[in-house]
Amino acid sequence: MSQFLVKEGVKNQIRKGEKLVTTHCCYCGMQCGMHIRVNEKTNKVVGVEPRYDWVLTRGKMCPKGVTAYQTVDHPDRIKRPLIKKNGQFVESSWDEALDLIENKYKELQRNYGKDSLSVYGGVSMTNEKCYLVGKYARVALGTRYLDYNGRYCMSSAAGGFNKTLGMDRGSTLPWTELEHTDCFFMAGSNTAECHPTSIQWFWKAKDKGAKIIVADPRETATARVADVHLDLLPGTDSALANGIMHLLIKHDYVDNEYVQERCNNFGELKEMTAKFTPEYTSKITGISVEKIVKAAHIFGKSPRSVVMFARGAEQQTAGVDNVSLYTSMALLRGQIGKFASGVATFTGQGNGQGGREHGQKSDLLPGYRKLTDPKAVEYISGVWGIKPEEMPKPGVSAYEMFDLMKNKTIRGLHVICSNPVVSSPNINHVYEALRELDFLVVSDFFLSETAELADVVLPATTWAEDEGTTTNIEGRVIHIRKVVEPIGESKPDWEIMSLIAERMGKGKHFQYREPREIFNELRLASKGGKADYYGVTYEKIDEQDGVFWPAPTEDHPGSPSVFKEKFATEDGKANLAVCDWKGPAEVKSTEYPIWLTTGRVVFHYLSGNQTRRVGFLKEQCPEPFVEMHPELASQYQVINGEKVKLTTPRGDMIVPVKITKAIRKDVVFVPYHWGKELAVNQLTSPALDPISRMPEFKVCPVKLEKLAK
Amino acid sequence: MNKIMYLEFERCIGCRACQAACRECGDHDAKERNYVEYVDFTESRQTFPMLCMQCKDPACARVCPANAIQITEEGVVLSAMEEKCIGCRNCTFGCPFGIPKFDFEKNKMYKCDMCYDRTRDDIPPMCASVCPSEAIRFIDFDEMQQLRRRRTQMNLVEGKKPQEGNKWDYVPEFFGVYTDSQ
Repeated sequence: MSQFLVKEGVKNQIRKGEKLVTTHCCYCGMQCGMHIRVNEKTNKVVGVEPRYDWVLTRGKMCPKGVTAYQTVDHPDRIKRPLIKKNGQFVESSWDEALDLIENKYKELQRNYGKDSLSVYGGVSMTNEKCYLVGKYARVALGTRYLDYNGRYCMSSAAGGFNKTLGMDRGSTLPWTELEHTDCFFMAGSNTAECHPTSIQWFWKAKDKGAKIIVADPRETATARVADVHLDLLPGTDSALANGIMHLLIKHDYVDNEYVQERCNNFGELKEMTAKFTPEYTSKITGISVEKIVKAAHIFGKSPRSVVMFARGAEQQTAGVDNVSLYTSMALLRGQIGKFASGVATFTGQGNGQGGREHGQKSDLLPGYRKLTDPKAVEYISGVWGIKPEEMPKPGVSAYEMFDLMKNKTIRGLHVICSNPVVSSPNINHVYEALRELDFLVVSDFFLSETAELADVVLPATTWAEDEGTTTNIEGRVIHIRKVVEPIGESKPDWEIMSLIAERMGKGKHFQYREPREIFNELRLASKGGKADYYGVTYEKIDEQDGVFWPAPTEDHPGSPSVFKEKFATEDGKANLAVCDWKGPAEVKSTEYPIWLTTGRVVFHYLSGNQTRRVGFLKEQCPEPFVEMHPELASQYQVINGEKVKLTTPRGDMIVPVKITKAIRKDVVFVPYHWGKELAVNQLTSPALDPISRMPEFKVCPVKLEKLAK
Repeated sequence: MNKIMYLEFERCIGCRACQAACRECGDHDAKERNYVEYVDFTESRQTFPMLCMQCKDPACARVCPANAIQITEEGVVLSAMEEKCIGCRNCTFGCPFGIPKFDFEKNKMYKCDMCYDRTRDDIPPMCASVCPSEAIRFIDFDEMQQLRRRRTQMNLVEGKKPQEGNKWDYVPEFFGVYTDSQ
């Protein structure tokens, strides 16, 4: 099998004594194509070479992507299992670690029942691993308590898409079409920093005259060049979307034929949006009337538009509402299912799309099947070789699992590919919850803040040490190649889960020699489900630059665009959203008079466990900061670089000030990539969306204090 | 090699992938030779990348007392030759763009060489290869001409023409290396 894929006429530099292995980046949902340089003598990863011919990213990479290879042979890698003895980690053999896990797991389940164990997964790993996390929890451990970090990332988008379109594929169109789009409406997405390589498509479209509308409390690098920057208050997205739809209806921009034929609830939507006049919308959102009107006209007049949103709109208690309302904007304009138009969410994690489809979520089974559907349970039980009555019932969402740890319902936890004491909201509570556990196992390749609390740390591999597939931001299934053998005694997560399953007496359900066998099982498990991967094979991915799901049969080429004829709802029609603006869970007061919002910087990824260890990225952004408008800084008499104290009812932090006019005067912004005393998630609100159970990271009132000299 | 390094500052998103990538070039000793700066962060997030202009008559080479800075036949201005550089740092002060840097450990100047180990084989330099926003491009002379003309066209479409005081907004910002045959 050739490890280096290159199209005719494309030149790459291959240095003497080196070979290239073709793969994709390990970080965000763009999954940029890259070749990894390997020294043929030492068999070590030594660098990166652009993959000019990868169809979506064309050799482009962000600084995280360029330096991603440096995590593979990093001195901080955990190379042997670690067991905590008298508060200190001691290196051990795999046998010793597995013995301990087996004894503890069995003891806990004997004393407190099957559900006393729990699994907390992640989606920065391959489909094969994500799929196996669900099976591991439900078959090997037999527990209902399973959820994953996508609950903080994609669940509101999923909830909104399922509600309106009946199916949750992050993008309804392939992104290579974006250069032909006439108008982008982006809400709550700092795409220039969070998905830098997507910018080439927006800029290409802009070169041809496309308009860009950005809704964000900050003037991000994308908002800076936007035709209209809707500088809304955090937590007011649903008012904005209703306001825009009010104007679309008023000025006759609605595609009546499309709405008539393909959408439900138009009458109700019209009624609901009636009160969202530009004046009323402006009062709630804080955006000037002129900007709202201008945006609505630009969006309404554009023949081909794409509505896009990200965590800014989704990480709110009204996240699902926001997503459904923004999606409805695209529906009113008759855009979904057509060329260069549609709706898309920016997937934050590498496999945020694939990882949420195959049963890591507390209430889902592979192929986007529902755990509450007896037929789905029967089918998956058949694939897994268990009895339907053995299938555990739905559990609770990620953040709610910590409550159950605190009250001792859950006593053991296995964290795989996640760092919840940095990435969760209100982390002081999460710390307390994890300390209540009788037994904590963490699989990771660096000692994360969560791993520091563990009783056993199992050394996992990096993305370059295992083969598999991921599903990118578009819904395209792509191939991650194994570049080198795992270093030290580290093992890929699927092998770790299989070893533990063996110890729990369920080894016969986990007989895999390589990831491809897991993928074939996943294909079967997803067959007939909404996210149907049956027609996706490793060979087909390599042949045709990835395969878009759904691909229901072996000869099916995949579905780059979806909803061309009908939607995936029961009646085939999209459900327009009828939702009022509710407002965030917490409101400003004299004690907490400023809005706090959080997000990413371009140099770091998620909880920073990987990127904080990479030299270049650390140099560029070594610590968090609080971004504020000079007017606000002046009111508090603070200067650039000065340290201030931020407080919410849940915690406080001390952080240096960064002054810029590129943010609202009543909002401050802190990036979330750091742990412990540098974590802004000590402050963030754990209020959950009622449907998606996603926490409201993006909105909470905060107190700002100048430090005494 | 008959290519142009083409910069469009307003496309820059400030990700600094060009800097990270610069370190990855074979001859670059894991040190970056370009930079990205904010125009004025207090006002806006606008950033701009800067790399060596590969001047026809480079100030860095002019002020070098040891004649250590060589120019290739294609016009690429190289880092100081190890055996000749006397570490006087004249070049770092001479360059109007702040490109040459000084390695205090090796007592030697180093600078952007347009990834000569790649570009001599017609492979784009690392910075232009990875730049997500295409603020930095490595393109053919003809393509550059086309981009220039398109800019004029867009200005006409939008009804813009240079006024007293903003003429510089209309000045081409390309630079690069091209042989005399062009």
